[in-house]
Amino acid sequence: MTHFYRAFLLALLCCTIMAVSVHAQQRSEAPLISGSFRSMTFLDFVQRLETRLPYKFYFEQAVADSLVVDLEVEGEPLNRVLAQILKGTDYKFAITEQRQVFITRQNPIMTSLPSNFFKDEEEARRNSQLATPAYLPQQQVNKKRIQSEIKLYEIGTPNGSKTGRANLAGTLRDANTGEPIIGAHIYIESPSIGTASDQYGYYSLSLPVGRHELNIRAVGLKNTKRQVILHSDGKLDIEVEEDIRSLKEVLVEAEKDRNVTGLQMGMERLDIRTIKQVPTAFGETDILRVVLTLPGVKSVGEGATGMNVRGGSTDQNLILLNDATIYNPSHLFGFFSAFNPDVIKSVELYKSAVPARYGGRLSSVLEVSSREGNKKQFSGAGGIGLLTSRLTLEGPIIKDKTSILVGGRSTYSDWLLKKIPNKSFSNSEASFYDVNTHISHEINEKNSLYLTGYLSKDRFKLAADTLYRFQNQNASLKWKHNFHNKLYSVVTGTYSHYGYDISNEENAANAAIMDFGISQMGMQVDFNYFPDSKHTLDFGASAIRYEVNPGSLVPNHEESLIKADKLQQEKAVESALYLSDRYDISQKLSVSAGLRYSFFTALGQRDVLQYAPGLPMSLNTIVDTVSYGSGKSIATYHGPEFRLSARYVLSDNSSVKVSFNRLRQYVHMLSNTATMAPTDTWKLSDSNIKPQVGDQVALGYYRNLRANTIEFSAEAYYKWMQDFLDYRSGANIIMNHHIETDVANAEGKAYGVELMLKKSTGKLNGWVSYTYSRTMVRLDDPTVSEVINRGEWYASNFDKPHDVTMISNYRFSQRFSTSLNFTYSTGRPITLPLGKYYDGGSHRILYSDRNQYRIPDYYRVDLALNIEGNHKMAKLAHSSWTVAVYNLTGRKNPYSVYFKSQNGQIKGYKMSIFGHPIPTITYNFKF
Amino acid sequence: MKIRNWKNPIVWLVMLLMSGCVEPYFPEVLESPSSFLVVNGFLNANGRTSIQLLRSQSLNDTGAPPAEENATVIVEAEDGERYGLHATGYGTYMHPNLQLRSDRKYRLYIRTKSGSEYASDYVEVKSSPAIESVNWTADGEEVKFYVNSQDPNNKTHYYKWEFEETWQFRPALQSVLIYENGQVRFREQGDAPISVCWKSDNSTRIEIGSSVKLSEDKISDYKLLAIPYNSEKVSMKYSILVKQYALTREAFEYLEMLKKNTENIGTLFDPLPSQLTSNIRSLSNPEETVIGYMTATTMETKRIFVDSRDLPRDWRLYYPTCEIDTVLISSGQVQERFTGGYLIPVDEVYGNAPEPIGYTYGTRACVDCTTQGTNVKPAFWE
Repeated sequence: MTHFYRAFLLALLCCTIMAVSVHAQQRSEAPLISGSFRSMTFLDFVQRLETRLPYKFYFEQAVADSLVVDLEVEGEPLNRVLAQILKGTDYKFAITEQRQVFITRQNPIMTSLPSNFFKDEEEARRNSQLATPAYLPQQQVNKKRIQSEIKLYEIGTPNGSKTGRANLAGTLRDANTGEPIIGAHIYIESPSIGTASDQYGYYSLSLPVGRHELNIRAVGLKNTKRQVILHSDGKLDIEVEEDIRSLKEVLVEAEKDRNVTGLQMGMERLDIRTIKQVPTAFGETDILRVVLTLPGVKSVGEGATGMNVRGGSTDQNLILLNDATIYNPSHLFGFFSAFNPDVIKSVELYKSAVPARYGGRLSSVLEVSSREGNKKQFSGAGGIGLLTSRLTLEGPIIKDKTSILVGGRSTYSDWLLKKIPNKSFSNSEASFYDVNTHISHEINEKNSLYLTGYLSKDRFKLAADTLYRFQNQNASLKWKHNFHNKLYSVVTGTYSHYGYDISNEENAANAAIMDFGISQMGMQVDFNYFPDSKHTLDFGASAIRYEVNPGSLVPNHEESLIKADKLQQEKAVESALYLSDRYDISQKLSVSAGLRYSFFTALGQRDVLQYAPGLPMSLNTIVDTVSYGSGKSIATYHGPEFRLSARYVLSDNSSVKVSFNRLRQYVHMLSNTATMAPTDTWKLSDSNIKPQVGDQVALGYYRNLRANTIEFSAEAYYKWMQDFLDYRSGANIIMNHHIETDVANAEGKAYGVELMLKKSTGKLNGWVSYTYSRTMVRLDDPTVSEVINRGEWYASNFDKPHDVTMISNYRFSQRFSTSLNFTYSTGRPITLPLGKYYDGGSHRILYSDRNQYRIPDYYRVDLALNIEGNHKMAKLAHSSWTVAVYNLTGRKNPYSVYFKSQNGQIKGYKMSIFGHPIPTITYNFKF
Repeated sequence: MKIRNWKNPIVWLVMLLMSGCVEPYFPEVLESPSSFLVVNGFLNANGRTSIQLLRSQSLNDTGAPPAEENATVIVEAEDGERYGLHATGYGTYMHPNLQLRSDRKYRLYIRTKSGSEYASDYVEVKSSPAIESVNWTADGEEVKFYVNSQDPNNKTHYYKWEFEETWQFRPALQSVLIYENGQVRFREQGDAPISVCWKSDNSTRIEIGSSVKLSEDKISDYKLLAIPYNSEKVSMKYSILVKQYALTREAFEYLEMLKKNTENIGTLFDPLPSQLTSNIRSLSNPEETVIGYMTATTMETKRIFVDSRDLPRDWRLYYPTCEIDTVLISSGQVQERFTGGYLIPVDEVYGNAPEPIGYTYGTRACVDCTTQGTNVKPAFWE
């Protein structure tokens, strides 16, 4: 309701402005108030005043109800009297020259306009650029809370310089929660200079000295602007209000013309609001599922964890949650993502032109950042879905300085499984939970601290004999320090751990528990330097220490005969230095050149097998075993990673961009399944396993139509990958003391074209994309391993050439909106039987060459209806319902096609994961 | 799937989510480019060795696999010792009593009728320890069979099992009559018994086990198979003969991969089908694919019996049922009914008189168990 009043009052104010200018001359001295006002309501007080004095009061009913006046005054002006009454409340007052009195909550109404408000715009600009500004506000504007769009902010100290440039920097924050706003676009129109706020909400602009109108645009926030007069370098923090109406809009990117003018290519930013609109199978908002709808991102199938970005394998994605690496981004065999939607703020995916700051994975960087928590008041949010429920609480510890956010999520799928009257289900267990915390603290203007933690645990037991458990543990601590407007640094310490164990107790003699774990400790220092308006420098260094327990097997029953076994621990250090410069050569041409140099050293203590050179590594070619002492270097790899990109603006609404980048990867996931399985292990490079290297060139054309409301982009890429790990036939991944004998270094290539048309505003919004892409693998070196498919290129497991995706949202009214999504893709390649033979007991299958056939094509339609509760601001809780149908047409999309020998015969089967329309209903609330 | 608490909406919901995931599927006809030589069997180090040579077929070929006839099949030792196998029909070549020495390595040599030559690698002769025991339990709603084995010398490590099942069964209708020469008469001693028969079946799955990860070379309670309580197999008396072989590590890995590729698939996390590398090669054309893996081992066997009377009392065991019909003698249709042997008289029907007034009868499949099995009692039956 306050919003309504505020709007109403502002409108009223505007009406009276005209009067202000006209009657300004006739202003007389303010009348004084005397009298005793004892224990009366504010309403009575006002009525008494209005009868005696020429004031007119405007206020909310709530003010009248909640305030009690109890004072005696003798000849004091109204402003002092009101100050006394309103002291200790969050009401503010404003008195106009027409003796109108406005009582508002929190922010007082500005009753006067900047003196040059009505002057001709051109003149104003000339004034501000040529001469000392005519208007000098009395109050200190710098570093003060921003109050209005029409107020003029004076930045820096006037030093007589009327030409040249000065730097303006500051932080963008949400006016309601105090959280920083990421990716908002801040720009002036003439000359056209703009930037986007970074992940801390920080922006830095180099502008000509003088008067400017600063425009601020961001997803889900009201468009706003600030009038500034820039004298010299200074700071301006801006608070932006949430735009309630935009709740239902699909907006993929914050910056409207970033598509064309941004230098970055192959990058997608998803806001949590967008993510929440896409229907999912279990009604739970799933970040990874939405990322999978983006062009260039694919997965093997519906039940599959992990994603394949531009032909890369699932282990080639650096998934960061607040800068800490997440090794397993999913729950429950990939049906849920590991990220709780209530605590996530945004997701950024880099498919090409990966910034030099990142490294260590070949294909992509997925950066997930969690919200900081409300710095102003306590609030909460939650949801109740078919299989999961979640609750998030947040609030200030020290108002406007320190906030905490804690979010948790759990499932009751275990209970559901028990309800199924089928033995193989009711003997199964499946459950998970995750907890996120985020504490942010602003020490002072120049220093901020962020502490985040994440914990997830899964356990599942299929058909009663084997219990799988896995967990992620992550923590990060960030210290952001602003040296001055043009330079800031971030020091980040991270810890990540992923581990799982498998225990089997069915047969006492074989009862054992096998476990695996990988831990990494990282330290990173990043500097951001804006020397002038043409350059932006990023530089820094990072170091990661890995410790891997590749596996240990321990009997877990007293009768167990299992021999305790432990694979040797692996240790390594990966470090990197980087420097990149973004150089705006002209209005039209910008280039970014970066170099990252990474080093990797595998460390002892370990005994390393050595194999005869020139022969495939196998048990028969072992020539020696070399022991390395603790901390001794086993193998060292290093190399440069180039990151180059350029943008050339063709016209106001079109541009071309080109990029080249090289990445190196030193940790590898071992898996012999097509999808990411919970039992996949990670392996560090060493003297027998080389690092992977990938190069990518990309070219793109971008065009915005209809005043930046429709974006079109076309990107083509070609990618080479060397030495990524493929598996020899029948590779044994678990508890293998010589894993190098079961893997082989393969080479890969991928190429494709991605077209995307996106409409981000209006009643109807969403995007349509088409991707043509191929991914090929070759294993042709007989000195490395067996040759697959005679050494020819063959399609990789996730090669799906054609892909069409449509995500659309139509808003009927403020409260009702629908989402309709459509996905089509070519079926994934599989190895099919070519023939059969009889082995004396059973018919068995004879396979074709690897990946020579495809499963049938995939298509799916999802529909969702979002119903918002009413938009009253002052409700106990805001709630919304989402009713959705996943796979509306009920198409049995095959996940796999397989042939099995059963009772001596060969039977062919097609397995689909969600072969029916799946209706879901979710209740979300926020307080 | 039986739904007992079908009124529970949650059950419906979960069923909706989980059901109907797997359905039969056959892609468009895939043609096998050529038919490869398939070598089945093993070199029995101490007894009868039987090797079968077949050819692979295309997937939709429903006929019997073609056999490789008139081949020369020889077992060769590294030092040149040779044992010829003689053809016994349908691609099978046999040596009645092969004796291989455990300190030598042997290979199988094949020359086909068309002159192509094949040979396996020289393989080590493994010797299997005796089967310690074969046990069964009535657990849940199944009879489960386990094998236990142990090698005190710690030399076996890799085991393979096959089994032969034999069970007694009876038809739904027990006939005391026989229709012969246009007459219905009582069955006698000399008539072929049709009320109790035996059926046999061989194992079809690959059953392998290993003790490498254990502190002793011991296999305990390896589950061979489970028979549902309502199977005909355990309706009267059941017997299983378990055969145990020892494998080399390479042979074990080959079979493990074959099992993964052809049996343990259909999960969310299927291993990728992988190429199998046989240890049998074509000497004429090294590129040619040959299927099979030659091993040399001794064989150990053990037989146990399960009597249905020892199964839990509350199990409702398999009981065959059939429709029974009646023909009256007065109708004059007796001959017409029973001629041809499709319908068989079961018992007499009496009215008030001492003479029967008609016969009950059933179809041959309901009365004569020899339509499904053999009425010759196996020699080992106790």
